[in-house]
Amino acid sequence: MTPETMVLDRVTRVPGVRGALLASAGDGLVVAEQLMDGVDGRAAAALAGALVGRLLRTTGAAGLESPLFVHLRAEEGSLLAAPAPGDLVLVAVLGPDANIGLARLEMLDAAGRLG
Amino acid sequence: MSDEIRALTARLADEPTSLAFLELGEALRRRGQYDAAAKVARGGLSRYPGLADAHDLVARILSDQGDLAGAFDAWADAIRLDPMRSSALKGLAFLYFRAGEVPAALEHLARAAEADPDDVTIPAAIARIEQEVRETSAPPPPQEPAPVPASPADAPAASSPQSQTVSASTAPATPPSSPTVDSPFADFSDGERGLLLADANGLRLGGTLTAPGGGEAGDRVAAELGGVVREAGRASRLLGLGSWHSIAIETPAAFLVLVPPSGDTVLLASREPSMPMARLGLLAERAARVARRWLERGR
Amino acid sequence: MRALEPWVELPLQAFLDESAARLTLLMTSSGQVVAQHGFARSLDVMTAAALGAGIVASTEELARLMGGSRFEALVHHGSRQSCLLSVFATPRGRWIGLVVFGPETSVGIVQLFFDRMVTELEAMAPRDAAAAPRLAENFEHELDASLKALFGR
Repeated sequence: MTPETMVLDRVTRVPGVRGALLASAGDGLVVAEQLMDGVDGRAAAALAGALVGRLLRTTGAAGLESPLFVHLRAEEGSLLAAPAPGDLVLVAVLGPDANIGLARLEMLDAAGRLG
Repeated sequence: MSDEIRALTARLADEPTSLAFLELGEALRRRGQYDAAAKVARGGLSRYPGLADAHDLVARILSDQGDLAGAFDAWADAIRLDPMRSSALKGLAFLYFRAGEVPAALEHLARAAEADPDDVTIPAAIARIEQEVRETSAPPPPQEPAPVPASPADAPAASSPQSQTVSASTAPATPPSSPTVDSPFADFSDGERGLLLADANGLRLGGTLTAPGGGEAGDRVAAELGGVVREAGRASRLLGLGSWHSIAIETPAAFLVLVPPSGDTVLLASREPSMPMARLGLLAERAARVARRWLERGR
Repeated sequence: MRALEPWVELPLQAFLDESAARLTLLMTSSGQVVAQHGFARSLDVMTAAALGAGIVASTEELARLMGGSRFEALVHHGSRQSCLLSVFATPRGRWIGLVVFGPETSVGIVQLFFDRMVTELEAMAPRDAAAAPRLAENFEHELDASLKALFGR
């Protein structure tokens, strides 16, 4: 099992996580994925990469360092993103009843270990 | 196990799709069996996601368990489904009061009174809060555990409000009727600090944001927020998540929360990481409501 | 954005809105331009179309020599802008898309919405009989007419 697969495996075990993937932040392309429940990995990689890129510019404009973690909460679930070294970003798509706190902890831990 | 709970459990077992989960969940909650109550409530909610009663029950349980952010979300869902639901309005008022957001607490109690004019606890709670605001001349000590029901839903209808010791983590140092200049956030205890309102074109409407090194960063950040809103809307829509409610961003030196007060504006709330993100979310939601009213007045 | 055929406009506009592409060219596999966006001069359109079709033909030959199936897309990454070339099927035959984009977007976004555009083109293409083969002596006249339509003159 590669390090990327191990990381995704831990994240997708959190209750309510519908899928997780590792994307190249700048390109918005999938590096590795573990998806369930009809999640479009390509779309998630591209869209999460674009959102994180925008937020990076926002935090930069505010004089802050890059985001460590992003949580987009929506009507039907959430999108979580944790930038990782090497221009990677760990992305997870969650259902509305997911354990966001646990997913966040797993993602922050995983993003740190990917360096 | 009490007879009541035994009977309700049997009823729910016989008819899993019945609404008996509401009574059972409430009975378990009143007995302090929060985990069991939560399990029953969530099971019922999954079957009836459009039932305001179910969201209300979940909120009361979460509030009892100390998950105030979760309780807030659940009561907000109840309001969304039933805008005149006085128990949810009271619940939100309670949370705002606990967070020290007195005007928001009073606003919700006023709406609850409108929805349920026969509920005598509401005017009593309003009077109690207003009295406490008048009596408080200095910031109160840090919040202490108070002999108060975990949620206003617990208070029996005939209880005296004086017997409920309600404490707030902060109280405004200025009288409620603070002067409102040309700022949507003039009534906030910290003023405009760390609150930024921008329109869809990236222009700042109000509020200020100071960069860590000093200097005003509001205009620069506002210019970026339009793009963020578009990306967030696109991502949540195309990934089948529906419309987005908020974006929480953690950086080493600050937490940020973005919420949309209206279809064409976005609000950013920023605080140091010493403020828990969930609490910052509550602050952002309150600021968004204030901003919405300010915008409507302006229009 | 200009298109020779009206049914191309909506899908192409949606792609442009979402992808933030700087230049876009849709053409048949023989290099006949169907729609364009962002080009200032007709000469640039003709040159880009010819070069794009040539690159696709060379790449397909390369794939054939390698014994594999055709490449679906080719991306050239540049320091200031990048280029996507993609071949796709439509009811009107095989077309080529050439998209030039900058760092304000990403190849993931461009590919994501390009594929969605292809799906919409497939759905919106009229199902009438294919156009009659063009005669050589009409080609120059038609090219001139096409270029005028593409540049809105």
